[in-house]
Amino acid sequence: MAGRRPSPAALLILLVAAAFAPISTAVRPVSDAHRSAAAELFAPSADGSFGDLERTYEAVRTFQILGLEKYKSETGKACKFAAEKLASPASSAAKDLFHAARISGALGCSVDAGVYDGVVARLKAVIKDTNSLLEFYYSVGGLLSIKEQGHNVVLSDAESTFHAIKALSQSDGRWRYDTDSAESSTFAAGIALEALAGVVSLADAEVDPSMVGVVKNDIVKLFDTIKSYDDGTFYFDEKHVDATEYKGPITTSASVVRGVTSFATVASGKLNIPGEKILGLAKFFLGIGLPGSAKDCFNQIESLSFLENNRVFIPLILSLPSKVFSLTSKDQLKVEVTTVFRSAAPPLKVNLVQVLGSDSKVITSENKELQFDLDNNVHYLDIAPLKIDVGKYSLVFEISLQEPEHETVYSTGGRNTENVFITGLIKVDKAEIGISDNDAGTVESVQKLDLLKDTKVSLSANHLQKLRLSFQLTTPLGHTFKPHQVFLKLKHESNVEHLFVVPGSARQFKLVLDFLGLVEKFYYLSGRYDLELAVGDAAMENSFLRPLGHLELDLPEAPEKAPKPPAQAVDPFSKFGPKAEISHIFRAPEKRPPKELSLAFTGLTLLPFIGFLIGLMRLGVNLKNFPSLPGPAAFASLFHSGIGAVLLLYVLFWLKLDLFTTLKYLGFLGIFLVFVGHRTLSYLSSVSTKQKTA
Amino acid sequence: MATPRHLLLLLALALAPLLAVAAAEGAAEEGPRGRRLLVLLDDLAVRSSHSAFFGSLQARGFDLDFRLADDPKLSLHRYGQYLYDGLVLFAPSTPRFGGSVDQNAVLEFIDAGHDMILAADSSASDLIRGIATECGVDFDEDPEAMVVDHINYAVTDVDGDHTLIAGDDLIQSDVILGSKKIEAPVLFRGIGHAVNPSNNLVLKVLSASPSAYSANPKTKLASPPSLTGSAISLVSVMQARNNARVLVSGSLDLFSNRFLKSGVQKAGSKKRYERAGNEQFVTETSKWVFHERGHLKAVNVKHHKVGETNEPGMYRINDDLEYSVEIYEWSGTSWKPYVADDVQLQFFMMSPYVLKTMSTDKKGLYSISFKVPDVYGVFQFKVEYQRLGYTGLSFTKQIPVRPYRHNEYERFITSAYPYYTASFSSMGAFFIFSFVYLYHK
Repeated sequence: MAGRRPSPAALLILLVAAAFAPISTAVRPVSDAHRSAAAELFAPSADGSFGDLERTYEAVRTFQILGLEKYKSETGKACKFAAEKLASPASSAAKDLFHAARISGALGCSVDAGVYDGVVARLKAVIKDTNSLLEFYYSVGGLLSIKEQGHNVVLSDAESTFHAIKALSQSDGRWRYDTDSAESSTFAAGIALEALAGVVSLADAEVDPSMVGVVKNDIVKLFDTIKSYDDGTFYFDEKHVDATEYKGPITTSASVVRGVTSFATVASGKLNIPGEKILGLAKFFLGIGLPGSAKDCFNQIESLSFLENNRVFIPLILSLPSKVFSLTSKDQLKVEVTTVFRSAAPPLKVNLVQVLGSDSKVITSENKELQFDLDNNVHYLDIAPLKIDVGKYSLVFEISLQEPEHETVYSTGGRNTENVFITGLIKVDKAEIGISDNDAGTVESVQKLDLLKDTKVSLSANHLQKLRLSFQLTTPLGHTFKPHQVFLKLKHESNVEHLFVVPGSARQFKLVLDFLGLVEKFYYLSGRYDLELAVGDAAMENSFLRPLGHLELDLPEAPEKAPKPPAQAVDPFSKFGPKAEISHIFRAPEKRPPKELSLAFTGLTLLPFIGFLIGLMRLGVNLKNFPSLPGPAAFASLFHSGIGAVLLLYVLFWLKLDLFTTLKYLGFLGIFLVFVGHRTLSYLSSVSTKQKTA
Repeated sequence: MATPRHLLLLLALALAPLLAVAAAEGAAEEGPRGRRLLVLLDDLAVRSSHSAFFGSLQARGFDLDFRLADDPKLSLHRYGQYLYDGLVLFAPSTPRFGGSVDQNAVLEFIDAGHDMILAADSSASDLIRGIATECGVDFDEDPEAMVVDHINYAVTDVDGDHTLIAGDDLIQSDVILGSKKIEAPVLFRGIGHAVNPSNNLVLKVLSASPSAYSANPKTKLASPPSLTGSAISLVSVMQARNNARVLVSGSLDLFSNRFLKSGVQKAGSKKRYERAGNEQFVTETSKWVFHERGHLKAVNVKHHKVGETNEPGMYRINDDLEYSVEIYEWSGTSWKPYVADDVQLQFFMMSPYVLKTMSTDKKGLYSISFKVPDVYGVFQFKVEYQRLGYTGLSFTKQIPVRPYRHNEYERFITSAYPYYTASFSSMGAFFIFSFVYLYHK
């Protein structure tokens, strides 16, 4: 696995470093922020419980260490919860009994001696039977917790238990979880050491010192596997990162810290661990800052509490309440040296031994001792006498303990380097802006600018002229200041922007824009350009972004092949929002004459018909020629009623029928009419020929 | 004889899980997106350093699968099915993903309509930059560059290089940022990006101030930085045409516990906020990204003639019709009626003939009535609803419109009466004349 991927561990260290790097810049002792964070993370649920036994213990213990009063109100409930578990030792796992006993211990619950007897018997039985490290850890831890509550617990076969646990250790100082498992783990090493420490304190007779010596050696080997960042932070992590078993650097480091400090407490003599590694571990846990999960919070706070008071080395943390010092407000350089929980350090001296510039150049290596303010527990130094100008510096401090015997108790880390910023007000003056002709170089119009307030100059130039801008920046100590950001921005009406860095020389900042060489860059865009000057730096307290006014630029017409200005981003909001409504315009109905007119003409069209009738009357029309014989008379009536039917059909066609129905009926009527018409007309003609011949 | 019975039993067994699933779905309303998120980290420490953000996702019911980005077993889909509904890419420095995942796999994942949160950092790898570029976001090409702002920075005791930006230029959108205004500035430390001007799907959610610029704070500037002023976007979102949503942040720290829990004071301002706006910002934007807000659905599209209830297969020109649709928004737990006054309907054939804003009953029902234009052809009822932050609604329904039938025209036109009377009177005269002509003596 390691062969396939060249250096996963190295890569991981790099990645972890990357993730923690911004955090580790702020190593500060535990503060009230941690208390409120813990109270938030361990907020009890609606029914007042914290969850399972383990989490309850973590909550109770974290609150206890941080001195939060909050947990007291939950005491009764948590005690009852623990007592329920302790009352039935036979049916409970060692893990539950372990957590329950620890909850009772932390809260000082009153538990009957008889209950504890049962628990002790059960845990001892577990120790006898098991070969699993976790079982050992839970049972020994449970017994130890019961003993600490004043109950008399003695582990008679301490020596063999010690051996049984020790048998799981590996040559590199790490431990296995049980005899069957082949994998060794750093996390397991931590809990093994804690279990061994428990065995030693539970033993009736003293445990073989040679065995203790061997374990001490193991610890030294374990510390050889410690990992580090380049800022002096140390942490433990598993060698093989397996996503399922992997617990993360916080849990792993916490386990080792618990184990090592517990073991150091019970073992005689001192453990041979370098002080800076202990300090590095403390820095690691403080570097987490505010933890995000309850588990991390517990691990962080408990580990720090073990480090706060341990027999190896007590880490002393040097921290700066503020890393930004203003020359304007004459800030004092303040340094705190405390333990991880912000309690006072033993008498010591803090010296500022070196000041390095941003490019690691030594500014001063005069040794200055910081004065001590006993009331606030702060070492301080005035900055002004140091004659440091604005900028970014690395300060090197040296801590020296005043009493030599403290050297073996406390770890200070010797030299501490802190990066600080010195800021101040920068004086801006001699600001001028003007237009000059290209050849002569004589400035035609120079305007003085006051860059401390908005100005509204209006200039105009053509492509043969130059724009000149100059100003001076001076630090509080009178040196020329070169800020990081000195930009002049020209913005055309069409939002095309051009940015220029104003170059700085030893005395002043001066920018000359020769428009002749810039026409192409300006895309031949004539018109109004707004001028804006931005000056800013991390060390400059009065960074500004100031509109200077505008420049009316007259550039030649663009040749055909000139580059086009870049497309400006279309407003992405334009595609949202309702569209304009559209209504359909209907075709206008045709114009019609008024109704009265139509009716009048209807009447007029009837007049010829009426005239026709009157004419017939006048002529004295008769129907004497109508056939008198019954046969022809019937045919004649049928013929005329047929004609009448056709005419009626036409009326019906207008009123309701459609063309097809009409034609159908008309067909039938037509045949009928041809037949009867033929009979009628032939009769009539025969009658008339008879009359003529007669 | 026994075989058919066995088959029935087998069939019942096979159907049982389906029935169970159907029953479960009936119990809780189904959201537009699933709840399985893949979280890719380049370091498992991020899991604890950003646990508050992950915790808020988990508290909202998401199922987070934390993986190292170079995990060799990494895979986004199996047997043609995606294993996840969303991706949280918190692995800025990873040079390549493990397993079968690569840049194209991530882009296909988005093309398949899934969502992503991508956080980069000053250590952003080409892979992460490549994915961002495909999403319409171009990170500053200088690998050392960070966003620096000497005027609108956050005042802290430990940082003096003004790379910790207190951003308050937020997009004006309730749907993306929640209805509660984010009062406190949002802390940002990382790299800036520009949104691609030709991509109109990308929106700047958090923009830098005019005094910001993107450069390496440790070296002197020789040439002007490529990104300056409010053109710098700190956090952008993209909603693709398939409604996949992507959030790109130039800062991984933006999501970290440290920024979520810390106070903030903007330089030059007296007001100190107990908590930075980050917690609200990341919670609200992640709600948006994972479709817990701003996801619309349209149901019950109906249309009919005024006075009728059945949907006809065809309209005649000049008919009066009514159209209605119900629109709901997913609130994270249930579908709530969507209330707006700008939903528009188009009656469309090649171009809209009618485009009208629908009226609403404020309970999700949108309706409108109008007269069918006097143009016949195949029309569409078309709703194209694109609003900032909401998923686009676009649905059409085809409907033919026919002209009048021959017998549907007007029959008794007054102005034609003279013609009618003329013809009928001549017909009557003919009838009388036929008698006179034949029988007069």
